[in-house]
Amino acid sequence: MIGGLVRILLFQGLGELISKFVVPLVPGPVIGLLLLLGWLLARRQVDDDLQSVAAAFSRHLGVLFVPAAVGVVTFLPQLREHAVALAVVLVVSVIATVAVTALILRFGSRESSRGA
Amino acid sequence: MGREVPAITEIWVYLSGSPLLALILTLAAYQLGLWIYEKTGRNPLANPVAIATVTIALTISAIDMPYARYFEGAQFVHFLLGTATVSLAVPIYRGLSGLKGRVIPLTAALLGGGLTSILCAVLLGRLLGLDDLLIGGLYAKSVTAPIAMGVAERIGASPTLTAVFAVCTGVLGAALGRFVLDAVGSRAWWQRGFALGTAAHGIGTSRAFSVSEEAGTYSSLAMGLHGVAGAVLIPWAAKLLGV
Repeated sequence: MIGGLVRILLFQGLGELISKFVVPLVPGPVIGLLLLLGWLLARRQVDDDLQSVAAAFSRHLGVLFVPAAVGVVTFLPQLREHAVALAVVLVVSVIATVAVTALILRFGSRESSRGA
Repeated sequence: MGREVPAITEIWVYLSGSPLLALILTLAAYQLGLWIYEKTGRNPLANPVAIATVTIALTISAIDMPYARYFEGAQFVHFLLGTATVSLAVPIYRGLSGLKGRVIPLTAALLGGGLTSILCAVLLGRLLGLDDLLIGGLYAKSVTAPIAMGVAERIGASPTLTAVFAVCTGVLGAALGRFVLDAVGSRAWWQRGFALGTAAHGIGTSRAFSVSEEAGTYSSLAMGLHGVAGAVLIPWAAKLLGV
């Protein structure tokens, strides 16, 4: 577990440095993600240590963005004023996104669809 | 000389000045959210993140704690977002190994879905008279929240609003996804999962895992790839559409 965490932190640090000095438009953690992905592709395996840290993070990813989401309290007046419009925008665009993605896959892949 | 028993206000002043209170509040509220989520049979509308957010927002308003002070403590949780983002490489790697001949349709679907999410939200938002502050928060809403917030900072939008819209989008996608997928005649699990992950990131992914392992794997692949693509492409899209 610790070994996996150390590796992830190292890749994050490297990503932050590259983001700061080379490609400022891409957030550091995303560069860290790509570096780790490259490393995994080169080694062609995920060891248990790394797997257990990644599993823990993805299982509880949600709790990590709670502190930022609570910031909603500072935007309540604007959100209340536009509540209906925002609800429409969010609902329509998520429906459109799911539909477009699924339709491109359905007609873009030659495999016969199966499953239910 | 015996120690005096401190007054309750003194204890309160000490506690509310320490990061511990915000940390306990954050994790306890999330635990409450998880408990309700399980009790409702994992109903996507009883999303633990949404429940935790509302609980904390109500609590800090009730005890008159400014958001900035709450965040001073909660930032220790917040910091791990970056670390969690890096760890998304693992599900992407696992998803990539089972792709076979699906690379082209998946890439097309990812780009099409990502573009639909942005165009639909921004154009419809303008049409309905939303101001620039709110529209800025809509750009990255289909991207997984840790990456979305980084992207928001780079396009000069509010990371907070982005996180809030991302959570709403995830909850809506997880709740409505099944009906939309049935309506457009999507059957294969890998296609359903990928569409859900593209539109509704992590919350959609946990929904996908709860119905099918294959859908979940493809959903987390879509979430990871949308994160990477979004981080690179959304700043350009924002420049083109004029944030």
